[in-house]
Amino acid sequence: MSTELQRARTRQMLIFLLVCFGMLVLLGRLYYWQVLRSQYLAQLANGEHVQNQILNAPRGLIYDAQGRILATNVVRDDVYIEPIQFAIDHPDNFQEALAAVISALHQVLSGVSVGQLSKNFSLNVQTVRIAVDIEPWQSQQLRELRLPDTFLEPRTWRIYPGESLAAQVLGYVMQDENNNRGVYGIEGQYNTLLAGKPGSFTAETDLNGNPLIVGASAEQLAVSGADLTLTIDSSVEYMVQKALVNAIQQLQAVSGSVVVINARTGAVVAMAGAPSFDPNLYSDYAGQMGCLGSEEVFFNPALYCAYEPGSTMKAITMAAALDQGLITPDTTLYDPGYIGFSDAPTVVNWNGLGYGTETMTEVLEHSANVGAAYVAHDILGPDRYYPYLARFGFGKPSSIDGPEASGSYRKLGSPGWTPSDLTRQAFGQSILATPIQMAMAYEAIANGGVMMQPYLVASVNNNGSVVTTQPRVERRVISAKAAQLLTEMLVHAATDGYAHPALVPGYSIAAKTGTATTQGVSTDKTEASVAGFIPASNPQFVILVKIDRPQATIYGGTAAAPLWKAIAQQLMWYYQIPPDQAYQQGS
Amino acid sequence: MYRPRDWAAAGVPKAVPPKPILAAKRRRQLHPFFFNMGPVALSVASVLLISLMAILYLTQLGQAVADNQRLQDLHRQQAILQRQNQDLVDIIAQEQSPAYIAEHAKSLGLVPADPKTVQVLVVRHLKPIPSHNQSINP
Repeated sequence: MSTELQRARTRQMLIFLLVCFGMLVLLGRLYYWQVLRSQYLAQLANGEHVQNQILNAPRGLIYDAQGRILATNVVRDDVYIEPIQFAIDHPDNFQEALAAVISALHQVLSGVSVGQLSKNFSLNVQTVRIAVDIEPWQSQQLRELRLPDTFLEPRTWRIYPGESLAAQVLGYVMQDENNNRGVYGIEGQYNTLLAGKPGSFTAETDLNGNPLIVGASAEQLAVSGADLTLTIDSSVEYMVQKALVNAIQQLQAVSGSVVVINARTGAVVAMAGAPSFDPNLYSDYAGQMGCLGSEEVFFNPALYCAYEPGSTMKAITMAAALDQGLITPDTTLYDPGYIGFSDAPTVVNWNGLGYGTETMTEVLEHSANVGAAYVAHDILGPDRYYPYLARFGFGKPSSIDGPEASGSYRKLGSPGWTPSDLTRQAFGQSILATPIQMAMAYEAIANGGVMMQPYLVASVNNNGSVVTTQPRVERRVISAKAAQLLTEMLVHAATDGYAHPALVPGYSIAAKTGTATTQGVSTDKTEASVAGFIPASNPQFVILVKIDRPQATIYGGTAAAPLWKAIAQQLMWYYQIPPDQAYQQGS
Repeated sequence: MYRPRDWAAAGVPKAVPPKPILAAKRRRQLHPFFFNMGPVALSVASVLLISLMAILYLTQLGQAVADNQRLQDLHRQQAILQRQNQDLVDIIAQEQSPAYIAEHAKSLGLVPADPKTVQVLVVRHLKPIPSHNQSINP
């Protein structure tokens, strides 16, 4: 072979080897990117083109007994700006463009000052939120303006159209960036049910971030929260709240609470406390206290504010003795105004008066501590008294929807118990009970001796599946006969006793007043209350009114009874319950 | 020198070779599917078919993109309508609330009823007309 040919063949071989080498290198890189780094690249690509969106579940609504909405949801926009992107998009005319955008934003969002907007645009961050929860008309205007590097982010808000109506029953939803959750009241107790379950949506997206129907997608639908219907009637609740607030103002009291219960079913028709709050503006009430300064204003005082019930407890004492056949309404005792015990301090009547020979009915009429202590200590004794306190539900939660205080009392066998506790508990001192407990005790009397389970939620509608709460018998507390006798005694206590101001024209009522002092606190600082039911002949509603530390007048009969009467009268009109007594015009 | 065998002298029947033009023609022909087609024709047909398929695909894709856009618009509209619906529900709930009704009643000159001025007439043996609002049942 000639030298030239050999050289040509060598060059050919070299070029061929070079090309092969190049191909090998390319193949190697291909293998590296396509095989070794494939997952990483796929993740990057998916991150660009595949969007995973959380589908928020709509929170369930809360209705009142008449189907009116107490809690609902609305979507409102938050306004964001992108300061860094704005600077990048306007390199030449930054100041002019900024002035124009700020001017336009301030025109729509008048609550955000120009200075604040300028400051936000000067921040070196990707996004800044400049306004929260703007009105729909503001959202509409901002959309029409199409301002650069400004966008709206929708957010769901919990709204309470009635504002402070039944606020302490409802609670509120804490609006968090990532998660809304119910706290206090029904919102807290039923948060899981109301919240539903979020879904997800994964899909390939286009340049604008819109999901593509032609691409792969996967969707898990969100499950809406359940809707709750309460036993609360808005109209009654409003009337009760308004009357309570007015009464507290007039009496210069610190606080108060009212409970209205359906005497036959245990359904809570109204439950009000004052002071209260507006759940739409819950953050404004942080630190405000209720329950005589012992609990935050968000707590429901009817469930949490245990108090010494005072003379309303005398009905329970009589119930225990009547049920065991130890007394009758006409059993008498001699009341000189005081009674001494060998193992307990002397008990005196609250007004220092002696009534001579009086019947048990008159003990309630006179609200005589002597008679009550005599029945508890000398007739019942601890072994026959304390079981009835337990049966009436004192010292333990009522198991209504939601957490509550249990109240307390010392009994035989408790550390520190003495017979003095027994004599004092007979007229409602040395025992703590919540308003709901007291109301349910009277409900048992009104319902022929049978205590019903109190409840707030009438039904739950979980995406079409409706579960209705059926009234449930808790237990029989006293016999029907004893309940009937006690009712007659309480009617006398109302007509001839200190509950006289609670009398409702045309209706018979069974009611007992209570004026309790707290140990260690001045005796003119009382908790004035009235517990009773109406109409006495066919009880429909149990009403408990409690006024804390009234100043204008400190007694149950003068402070709480007028409010009790006003509420009872409205209830009779609202529910069109006919009078059961001869009506005297002008009374 | 060699020369072809004299088949005629051997008595063997002589095979008639195909005419060169026809043979050549047959060698060039292809048989895609069920009809004969020359390579040029086949190429042209293939290009046409592929173009048609491409046009069809692009049309479908364009349609899908347009539908996607319409779907996005409908979703946006639905979201807007849902928001409006929620706002209306909120307004209705506010206007049904007792506080709102009381406020408006006051503005119309109505006052809360004074129990002293209310007269209750008891009509014995009166049969009430059944109400549709049976939910108020204490």
